[in-house]
Amino acid sequence: MDTFKVVLAGVGGQGTLLASRLMAEAAIKAGMHVKIGETYGMAQRGGPVMGHIQIGGETNNPQIRKGEADVLIGFEPAEAVRRGVTYLKKGGLALINTRKTAPVEVVSGMMPYPDMNKLLGLLKQVTENIHLFDATGIAEEAGDPITTNIVMLGSIVASGLLPYSEETVLETLRDSLRPQFLEMNMKAFELGKKAYKSI
Amino acid sequence: MSHPVALDRPGEKVVLMGNEAIARGAIEGGITLAASYPGTPSSEIGNTLARVAKKLGFHFEWSANEKVAMEVAYGASMVNQRVLCPMKHVGVNVALDILNPITLRGVKGGLVVVSTDDPSQHSSRTEQDNRWMGKLNDVPIIEPSSPQEAKDLTKYALGLSEQVKLPVLIRTVTRLSHMRSDVTLGEIQKLDRKPEFDWEGFSYRVAGFEKLFRRHKERHGKIDAVEAEFEEVPFNTVKFNGEKTGIIGVGFAFTYVKDALEALSVEDNVAWMKLLTPHPLPQKKVGEFIKGLDTLLIAEEVDPYVELHIKALAKDVNPSLKILGRLDGSLPREGELNHEIIDNIISDILGLEKPVSERKDVETEKEELLFDRMLTMCAGCPHRSSLYALKKAVKEVKGDLMNVVVNGDIGCYGLAHAPPMEFEDTYFAMGASIGVSQGMQQMGIDTIAWIGDGTFLHAGIPALQNAVHNGADIKIVVADNAAVAMTGFQTNPQMGRTATGDKVEPIMIEDIARASGVKHVEVVDPYDLDAAEAAFKRMLEADGVAMVISRRECAMVAVRNMRPNRPPVYEVNPDICIGCKQCLNNYGCPALMWNEDERKASIDTTLCMGCDSCAQVCPVNAISRRES
Repeated sequence: MDTFKVVLAGVGGQGTLLASRLMAEAAIKAGMHVKIGETYGMAQRGGPVMGHIQIGGETNNPQIRKGEADVLIGFEPAEAVRRGVTYLKKGGLALINTRKTAPVEVVSGMMPYPDMNKLLGLLKQVTENIHLFDATGIAEEAGDPITTNIVMLGSIVASGLLPYSEETVLETLRDSLRPQFLEMNMKAFELGKKAYKSI
Repeated sequence: MSHPVALDRPGEKVVLMGNEAIARGAIEGGITLAASYPGTPSSEIGNTLARVAKKLGFHFEWSANEKVAMEVAYGASMVNQRVLCPMKHVGVNVALDILNPITLRGVKGGLVVVSTDDPSQHSSRTEQDNRWMGKLNDVPIIEPSSPQEAKDLTKYALGLSEQVKLPVLIRTVTRLSHMRSDVTLGEIQKLDRKPEFDWEGFSYRVAGFEKLFRRHKERHGKIDAVEAEFEEVPFNTVKFNGEKTGIIGVGFAFTYVKDALEALSVEDNVAWMKLLTPHPLPQKKVGEFIKGLDTLLIAEEVDPYVELHIKALAKDVNPSLKILGRLDGSLPREGELNHEIIDNIISDILGLEKPVSERKDVETEKEELLFDRMLTMCAGCPHRSSLYALKKAVKEVKGDLMNVVVNGDIGCYGLAHAPPMEFEDTYFAMGASIGVSQGMQQMGIDTIAWIGDGTFLHAGIPALQNAVHNGADIKIVVADNAAVAMTGFQTNPQMGRTATGDKVEPIMIEDIARASGVKHVEVVDPYDLDAAEAAFKRMLEADGVAMVISRRECAMVAVRNMRPNRPPVYEVNPDICIGCKQCLNNYGCPALMWNEDERKASIDTTLCMGCDSCAQVCPVNAISRRES
């Protein structure tokens, strides 16, 4: 099979890694090879974080080639554009959380947060297939903003592009998440699916 | 939920990180002890072992530093136990003093050292290539290219070490240590060896001093035996069908090569060798491969280590061979490799058209529009509060912030150099803040050493005692967040618990300082900004070595401990806020925001952890805790 490629973009602490791992666990359940490449450096402390997931196929390196990702999952708009412009294939699907996380440059007044239309204009040079929604708001509705990653996972499942079934993902969630947080996460997952479909 | 590395289910596929795979390999190889010091990108090896050590019945510890870790590991090896000693690349520098005699004396139980190198310095101060350590000390080196190989070859290395009686070094790079992939589990060996000191092998009393001491020649014999072994190992693989162009991919670098050949559809035109044993080089096998080639590319990270050795070999085997790599400039001399670099060089060699990016313009526009997202201390980080109070104290006592040199150290608090605090001039190596400060001070320059609790305990103690002993007049601030936060919350001797959760007596830094002869030692809570400032002032005005321990638990730990509750909420009263931006510009917690329309500050309640510091910074008391 061809390798299905997803790039995740976000900020340290947003739970991008867990989202990648859940997608990888599901791939194994579906009997597929999987690779995750993570770039975070010292960025646990609010710096940019990027994850590359390759599902199926026989590639060796964990990094996705530029312009070859099938889907971009953007946990933060500026980070989504930073990675999407580089890695998303022409016409690929971009799922983007609209909730901004201002970096220290913006907080301390060194520069403004870039204009959203300008930002998205750059990504539109790569794809028109952009889905925007307030995933953090939806996660708060589910019970905790920390479930933003599960909302994003719900949205990619709803897109129908993942090379395995929703049931496999649900089974993975049940196996991998702590029981005391499962209900909240399941709610976040369903709301994420709904968010994709309602756009 | 138990960790997948503890599963006794050979043949099962699980997702493992490169570092977790190394831990699993050690478990499969039957280790009974592992000792480490955390450091990115190695830390998850120890984190993983710490989680499962009790369940699987082996000893794991976060040692005081890498040298101690290797000494502990060696002690267990001498009593016939298999051991693992993982660390980041610069940790091997710390441990080198003991690694050197280990190689000469040899090992009994298999001893595997893991060095996680960091090409491109993702989280390190150098991109040092530790394969030179192998050359320096006759240590066999194995470089896996995938998590599966990382697991399998760690297990293999334990056996090899035991067989040839040398420590074996597993060398990874960040991309491998941090990647995840499906790994098929193997069998867990249970060796059940009774610990017995090898008197004949190590004891001066029994074997005699002379026999044990001068063993350089014996070491050469061992490394030659390893070379013979590496000629035959199945994991150095070759594809050769008479092609004239060949590529040797060393360790993880091989993955770029293999993928490039497929992406460029030139698999039939190029011979390749996957070389996982850079030291000692299997000269016969490599010689056989390069004999018939016209052109050879060597892809490795970071230094031209294999390239140099192959150049020497080619002189005898194939003198007219054109050798391309990091040494001749075909590949960059610094930094990690990537798809583009390898695609381009292979295209060059084969005379193919180079792939061109159609996105140059949009990439340039993006660079102009976007911020870098500079690293910053977390919301509520106690180090920010310490620095805020320290700066005020320095201004008052010294007149100007530039009247002291601030020598920082290795850890989160090293971010003191970044805006908006910008109060740090240097940092170099674990514990170095104290020594360099002393050297400056002895020459009449005022200094502050700014060092974390973990770093102080790792290598700060000898420097502190040196400063006291030599009558120095240095000022030391210990940024004590009761955590080894930068690397993911491992334990240190002050915490009162071991890596595997046993309660022990904490060793307090103030007690060490007082016992070391420091007369002025104070402990203060940096969340009380006035009290901290006063303590820093007293320190700056004191004679001799003076220390303030600015102690408050890491904000990330604090928030975690509050779960499932959320921290208390702080808010800015817009009727009182005068828009002076002091909280943003002088304090700069990421939970603070600026509302341009209203020209007032506000607080992001998802980030704020309720430390109260900004409320103390505000000159008009506009910030307060919301009554619940």
